[in-house]
Amino acid sequence: MEDSFSTYHPIINFFYFSVILIISMFFNHPMILGISLISAILYAVVLQGWKKALKFNLLFMLPMLIIVALINPLFNHSGVTILFYLDNGNPITLESIIYGLVMSVMLIQVIIWFSCYNIIMTSDKFIYLFGRIIPALSLIFSMVLRFVPKFKAQLKVISNGQKCIGRDITNGNILMRARHGVTILSIMVTWALENAIETADSMKARGYGLKGRTAFSLYRFDNRDKGMFGVMLILLVIFIIGVSMGNTFVQYNPIIIINGIVPMSLSSFFTYFIFLVFCLIPVAVDGFSAMKWQKMKEVIPEKTKCAEIRVGIEAQ
Amino acid sequence: MLQDESLDDFLDAFLGEKGHQKPEKKRWPTPAIPINTDNLAAVAMVHKDMKEPIAKKKLSKRTWVAIVMILVIIPLTIWFGIRFMGDRKYYFISMGIIVYTFVPFLMVFEGRKPQARELIIIAILAAIGVAGRAAFFMLPQFKPVVAVVIIAGVCFGAESGFLVGAMVGFVSNFFFGQGPWTPWQMFSFGIIGFLAGILFRKGLLKSSKPQLCVYGFLATFFIYGGIMNMSSLLMWSSIITWKSVLAVYITGAPFDLIHASATVFFLFVASKPMIEKLERIKKKYGLIER
Repeated sequence: MEDSFSTYHPIINFFYFSVILIISMFFNHPMILGISLISAILYAVVLQGWKKALKFNLLFMLPMLIIVALINPLFNHSGVTILFYLDNGNPITLESIIYGLVMSVMLIQVIIWFSCYNIIMTSDKFIYLFGRIIPALSLIFSMVLRFVPKFKAQLKVISNGQKCIGRDITNGNILMRARHGVTILSIMVTWALENAIETADSMKARGYGLKGRTAFSLYRFDNRDKGMFGVMLILLVIFIIGVSMGNTFVQYNPIIIINGIVPMSLSSFFTYFIFLVFCLIPVAVDGFSAMKWQKMKEVIPEKTKCAEIRVGIEAQ
Repeated sequence: MLQDESLDDFLDAFLGEKGHQKPEKKRWPTPAIPINTDNLAAVAMVHKDMKEPIAKKKLSKRTWVAIVMILVIIPLTIWFGIRFMGDRKYYFISMGIIVYTFVPFLMVFEGRKPQARELIIIAILAAIGVAGRAAFFMLPQFKPVVAVVIIAGVCFGAESGFLVGAMVGFVSNFFFGQGPWTPWQMFSFGIIGFLAGILFRKGLLKSSKPQLCVYGFLATFFIYGGIMNMSSLLMWSSIITWKSVLAVYITGAPFDLIHASATVFFLFVASKPMIEKLERIKKKYGLIER
């Protein structure tokens, strides 16, 4: 499915992920963790499809969860509820087991959020965002991204050239093959450096670094983005007020104290709910646009007659 | 020679001036000030505007930022972390300080409006590092990144070393996946290149094969391994005891050993031809005049 959250302005995307990642990295209240984990999985499913997301979660995340959860009680013996003693006399406590579980959930949800981040925040968005604050470094960054595939292509050219004179990595015995490989890499590096200087001179000739030059970008901060930014800010402010009221306070060591769940007050419920809404923004945006598309499809009377219109709409 | 002298003068003035502020930095003693000043060594190599910030102005903008950061932002981060972050305070504070250490580098680099040639050389070296990491991706921890970063530091100075390292860490994670480890990796790679540049300039590190290999091994094992193991401990758990620190370092040691051997291998094989090529380019196009 096409993701419509990624069509928002890069500032919106980046702001959303920064907030989410900071909250999920530094809050270990079980309610917050649970909400964040579920939303992360949901969004990963929306972005990658059921199969891929589930495979990723079950293959990599589940073993990680178990390992991290098991490691903590082995090294951490604090806590008042002692379950049993190990052979070397160290106690295993309920608190340390629960804490291990919490930490592993935290680690996993951060990784899942990052897997979504990697899909949404593409490198061109990143360059767009930071091109003005750190122009030189953003330029380096974009050049590095460009050079890697360029090197690959040039490596092929060099390799083919060497093949014609019988010095490719497929020629000769294993020692000669290795030597040919090294030669090819050496040619490659020399070419890359010379080519770099040429590029730099070309940049200079075209006025790199002079005043008054502009940069082209596709992005526009329109009303939709403004609205979304406002909604996000409001939600965030409410959440911060909730946090400062102590609704997300939690302590695992030496005794477990969890605020706000039992008994759940109205304000703590509201805090969690606001956080849930914030987490689900991209999923909701995707859902709305899918619904909109459904409706628009119904308006189209017949497939055969309006083929041209459909083509037009789909092209959008 | 003059460069060195003026640099030393500046270092004396700078450190003398701010000596009394040093105790403010609690947990991470090295980064902000030394990086900031030593960076001038790298700036000075690019001869063009090296005297200006040293002689004319008393406190440059960069110094002000450093002062504000050390006196205000870092204590504020520590206070905020202890006050609000509860169990996550160690991770929060250390992550914050790691990110702040990038700021002086960025300011120095952006502030002096680098030339196109300089930019592109850094980009090329970083691209070689990224491509190298991608080429050996199937062998865990066997990556040539540190070797490339050290060579960059030796040939083009400490600042370039840092930038190449940080850039490789950042860009290669676009191929391998970003995560909470990215800033740590960027910092570890960067600081290895930075140190290589400083040591080479001070004459403590020669560009001979055995010396580079020894430095590569030590830097990878102790600096990269040291920082990354600690970071994973900070990420995973927040009750930090000597036992858990020891456990993390012991479990990490085999991987660090592979990584360090990889660095030694790549430095042994590639350092000489690579440095030759870079020196040739430098001479041919007059990149850095001494």
